[in-house]
Amino acid sequence: MTRESWRLSRRDVLRGGGLSLALPLLQGMNSVARASCVARPKRMVVTYFSYGAFMPGSRDGQPIAGQEHDAWNWWPCAEPGELTFNESSAPFAGLKDSVSYLRGLDHAGGYGLGGHSSGDVFATGADMSVSEKTNNISIDQYAARVNGHLTRYPSLVLGTEGGTGSYGQAKTLSHYGPGRPIPALHRTQEIFNRLFRPYSNESIERIRARLAREASVLDLVGEHATSYRNRLGVDDRRKLDEYLESVRSIEQRTERTTRWTHEPLPEVESSSLNLDAQYEDPLEYTRCMYDLIFLALQTDATRYVTFMLESEQSTSNEVGKFANTVLKYNGQTHDIAHKRPAESGLWDRWRAEQHAYFLQRLRDTAEDDGNLLDHTVVVWGSAHPHSSHSTRNYPIQVAGGGGLGLRHGKLHAFEGERKVPLANLFVTLLNAIDAPADSFADSTSDMSELRG
Amino acid sequence: MNVGDQSTSRFPWRSSGKPAWTWIAIGLAVLVVLVGAGSSVYDWACRSSDFGLPRSLPADGAKSNEPWNPRSPGSDRVHLVSFSLQDPAQDRSLDERVTNFVRRYCAECHLIDEPKGDFSLVDLSFPPRDADAAESWERVWEVLETSEMPPREAPRPTDEDRARVTALLDQGLRDWSATERESFGHGSLRRLTNFEYQNTMRDLLGIELELISNLPEDPTRQYEFNNTAEFMLLGPEQIDRYWENARRAMASVIVDPEAPEVFRKTFRFDPIGAPTTGLQQDEIGVYGNRRGTAADSMRIQQFPERGEYRIRIRAASILPAGVTEVPLQLVMGTTLRHDAGTGDYFPVGTIHLSNSVDELETFEFRGRIENHPREVGSVTANGQQPPSLVITAQNLWDNGELNDHRQGFDTSWNLATPRVVLRELQFEAPVVDAWPPEHHRRILFDSPLRDTDPRAYVREVLSRFMSRAYRRPVTEEELERFVRLYDRLSPELDSFEESMRETLALVLISPQFLYHTVSDGEVVSTDDELASRLAYFLWGSMPDDELLGLASDGRLNDPGEINRQVERMLDDPRALEFTGNFVGQWLSLHKAHAVKINQDLFPRFLNTYHIGERRGQEISFRPTIRDYMQQETVGFVAELIRANESVDSLVDSEFVMVNEPLAAHYGLDGVQGLRLRRVALNAEDRLGGLLTQGSILVANSTGSAPHPIYRAVWLREAILGDDVPPSPAEVPALVDSAGDAATEASSIKELLRLHRTNESCRDCHVRLDPWGVPFERYNSVGRYEPMRPPDGTRIRGFQVAADQDLDGYRAYLDSVLTVPIDAASEIPLGRSIDGMDDLKRFLLEERRDQIAENVARRFLTYGLGRPLSVRDRATVHAILDETRADGFRMRDMILAVCRSQPFRGVDQEGHER
Repeated sequence: MTRESWRLSRRDVLRGGGLSLALPLLQGMNSVARASCVARPKRMVVTYFSYGAFMPGSRDGQPIAGQEHDAWNWWPCAEPGELTFNESSAPFAGLKDSVSYLRGLDHAGGYGLGGHSSGDVFATGADMSVSEKTNNISIDQYAARVNGHLTRYPSLVLGTEGGTGSYGQAKTLSHYGPGRPIPALHRTQEIFNRLFRPYSNESIERIRARLAREASVLDLVGEHATSYRNRLGVDDRRKLDEYLESVRSIEQRTERTTRWTHEPLPEVESSSLNLDAQYEDPLEYTRCMYDLIFLALQTDATRYVTFMLESEQSTSNEVGKFANTVLKYNGQTHDIAHKRPAESGLWDRWRAEQHAYFLQRLRDTAEDDGNLLDHTVVVWGSAHPHSSHSTRNYPIQVAGGGGLGLRHGKLHAFEGERKVPLANLFVTLLNAIDAPADSFADSTSDMSELRG
Repeated sequence: MNVGDQSTSRFPWRSSGKPAWTWIAIGLAVLVVLVGAGSSVYDWACRSSDFGLPRSLPADGAKSNEPWNPRSPGSDRVHLVSFSLQDPAQDRSLDERVTNFVRRYCAECHLIDEPKGDFSLVDLSFPPRDADAAESWERVWEVLETSEMPPREAPRPTDEDRARVTALLDQGLRDWSATERESFGHGSLRRLTNFEYQNTMRDLLGIELELISNLPEDPTRQYEFNNTAEFMLLGPEQIDRYWENARRAMASVIVDPEAPEVFRKTFRFDPIGAPTTGLQQDEIGVYGNRRGTAADSMRIQQFPERGEYRIRIRAASILPAGVTEVPLQLVMGTTLRHDAGTGDYFPVGTIHLSNSVDELETFEFRGRIENHPREVGSVTANGQQPPSLVITAQNLWDNGELNDHRQGFDTSWNLATPRVVLRELQFEAPVVDAWPPEHHRRILFDSPLRDTDPRAYVREVLSRFMSRAYRRPVTEEELERFVRLYDRLSPELDSFEESMRETLALVLISPQFLYHTVSDGEVVSTDDELASRLAYFLWGSMPDDELLGLASDGRLNDPGEINRQVERMLDDPRALEFTGNFVGQWLSLHKAHAVKINQDLFPRFLNTYHIGERRGQEISFRPTIRDYMQQETVGFVAELIRANESVDSLVDSEFVMVNEPLAAHYGLDGVQGLRLRRVALNAEDRLGGLLTQGSILVANSTGSAPHPIYRAVWLREAILGDDVPPSPAEVPALVDSAGDAATEASSIKELLRLHRTNESCRDCHVRLDPWGVPFERYNSVGRYEPMRPPDGTRIRGFQVAADQDLDGYRAYLDSVLTVPIDAASEIPLGRSIDGMDDLKRFLLEERRDQIAENVARRFLTYGLGRPLSVRDRATVHAILDETRADGFRMRDMILAVCRSQPFRGVDQEGHER
């Protein structure tokens, strides 16, 4: 009979897919892990919404002088300085001291991509049209390389559609490096199982024996491939290095998993979640995904999460109809962005409500003498403004990290003379979460405005 | 994908499309062209840029030649074409004729610091000395050949001049590529695409397991093939999943010695009389003792984890007068809820019934139980219940009018729909007609060694398996390594079978399996590489024993043998894998699925849910008209290859490949059933060739209106083989004329204003838009519609209250569609074209060579698995020269591609490189 089929696959145990591997610093993981119980974790979440956001009276994401600020503009207010909230941003009103809006930021590396393709580089800043055609490491993976060994999972990569998508049509925000997108997980039950029930019914001893066998076999496979490599021409050798590096990564992941079998799993009850939530119900589904992120952070299962709320190419599938379902709109989601002012504002508002729910939940959860949001930085944005296919001046909101030196409550405008790369923000965030970076992608410095 | 029959295609209606937002932006220029027709684009562009050069240069370039002086007197911004004087052997007169021409006609825009179209001729010598230069000259050749340049308003060469220089360029480039080819190595190392991997696993293991869905999606790019080293990257996730797949596959292929328990279940349905109501949406049209019974109750609760299953049914049809057959599809997986559209399932097979209830017939289906998703058991007082499998029978009959069920439509016809009668279904798994099964014995074959010398046996097993998996003889060293792996694994594993499974799974993650075969001059021969190249080209899979045998004997790499093999391979059913994959990528067919159809304007086109919360959405549990359209196009190209018809048929043909729903859509009579067939055309059908096929017209429309820009881009990219640059990112979208109002930010005025400031749009669109306008009489869903409403009148959608039925809506349409659509345009420097027939005529008369070259390049690119470069020019022209006399027949072209030097990996003398 089919009892076997309930068992999770090997990958579930090895947390492949969205639970990415880092290239880990394995030495002394146990002691570090223990020490980390003392030092409060510092976390980062990057979330992305597609098709930009509604910005009437603006061009390429920047306000046109003399135009009144629309109540349904995605930007809460027009003038830099103290935040006031309009209809679209109202869900964040209660979080005012925990959020900042950053206007005028973008990745120059995405300029050459089409307006709906620049989402590929949202978390990477890679120069995809010129020098880094296969994208590059994303901010979460950069942090995971430094600190990923401190948690059971170096990072968590989520999306509403799953997988990697294609170039120009990414369904994930995270990349290990050039040509290595990390498939996003999108099934709620599967995410829960991988996070909190990785071993299923198998005994730890059996798992350890299997992992040990796999590690040594992979070692031999690597040797075997190296010998094959030596017969190849120079170009082909370089190509095969992708393979060798991948095998080594799996081998390291296997070793890492073995070590974590010695640590107890956090106790999380699935009853607190609506894991049955399906695409047909965008509200329940989106909340469940946010809840899973929240639980992963709360239990310190991981510290770095990316979440692609929609991809830019969603119209061909169910997820692309989120907006239709929510707004009872019968056109393409893409059209909402381009020519439907009424729906566009409502759609922004709906998305704001979901994100505010997540921020609020972090803030309502006590940790030490503060709350979870204090030690979590959360980026929320898209890779183009509204209505045009411009790849400049992204809508960007940053939240949290009050305990990490970030100061909020303002709209900052980086326009004209003050224009800086979005990657400057990344540098600031990385340093705030103890993943030191002098630079990232095309950054020119850090973003002191957020610290002041 | 099997063209005529859904039974072998994997969820054809699930293929997800990827919309092309990029092209939306291009849309703008329609407006520019329409509005800006009076003013001269070129003059404006010249005025606005600031060059300090007289408009006309000296005609006699030879006199003013100053070789190696990049700057001409009087201007510090204009460069001269430099000469390749270093090489005295080169023909100077050739140089000068080209150079002078370029100076005279191209300098103003392309020999300046900020060249137009970002295309610079500065410091370019002719004949070319390197690949970059050759590529630039190839571009020059292209725009001269097609008369796109110089632009209409600029000083223009005489046709004679142009022809002479074009010929010189062509000759120079061919000469260059002929010598250059020598130094250009074989295709570089690239991994199998997911499509190739799936097929290879099937042919290697002898069972078809659905493995693709467990792999990260392969990247794709419009109008490009993805079987290249650039696209086929590999990361840890892939290795992980390849390993998982390999273990899953080995668990299925190698069985345990003792025959397993067989599970059987039989369902019987007793009829209670003939149907009394029309075909309902939630009815699958399968008659049991009551409506729907057969669908709801066929739940299998006991079945093996893996293995082959057999399903036998006793079935018949109830056919109304005039209907000759009814298709029945079985699917198996979780419960298929027709009202909600939910369910996760995999097809079992499709049959076409024509026998009556008095003559019940038995039909048999076979498949692998592993491929079917299970329904998770519920939790009861007794704990978690085991999973189950649900078999659903579906009546797939479709006469193209299924959506007439929509509320308010006339439904009287549907009492006369054909029904399927299912009397009995027997499920049995696993099939143990022979134990162990054939696929097991193919790997763990009988041998006396097995008992006398187990280690030697393992060696022998590995040797045979690895030689097939690697698609060439395995080396002693490779074999030795795997014997060592076996030694490492076997002490810890429970059985011989388990040890073999684990060891062989590792073969399936080794690079020799996952990457294409590359000859290395030592252990892997050019013949081995050729065997694989042929097989992956024409089958999308590994070479069979015949190819491998010829390769290992060194007899394959011979033009005569290649001809024999290619003919054999194209006649094999596996060739359908090739056409499906090739045509889909070449023509970017998937786009059609991503277009949101305006159902108010086209109420009959999509088959939608008409009740429940998903009302109005396209039905997801059966093939749709768009799936059939995709099959039409793939089947059409397959038919051209089968019948060895000329590439002319791509532009216009005397037949179409259609089934009943497609025929109904196009207005063709006398076609019944879902199987595609060849149907002869009359001129008044206004069909034939690719240009009028629904898959193309729908994919390149907005869903409400035709889109001349999309269609122009498609025609130029897919048919003419031009590289159309994507529009700049800042360009807003074209507002859909039949859609809703634009926002303030993207009003038409604003769009035009933005465009007026964007010179690069104009430059491209002047050359783009005219190609799309002749398509205008084919509407958004791909039907001929020659009339439009007067300006200022917007067509309203179907309304029950106003129209009552479709005839009523048609009458309304006829009353507002009063103005003939203008489909006239002027091809750049070509002639005026009015409508589709004229466009086809023009293409066949004036662009035939270009189209043939494009097709040859597509075959060669796909076959070689790498982008072509200017180095391949001589090869492409050799293929064209070989096939020109017979009118560029499709099969002949494939043969010529397979005999070409780069494909065979030989030089001009036939020596291995």
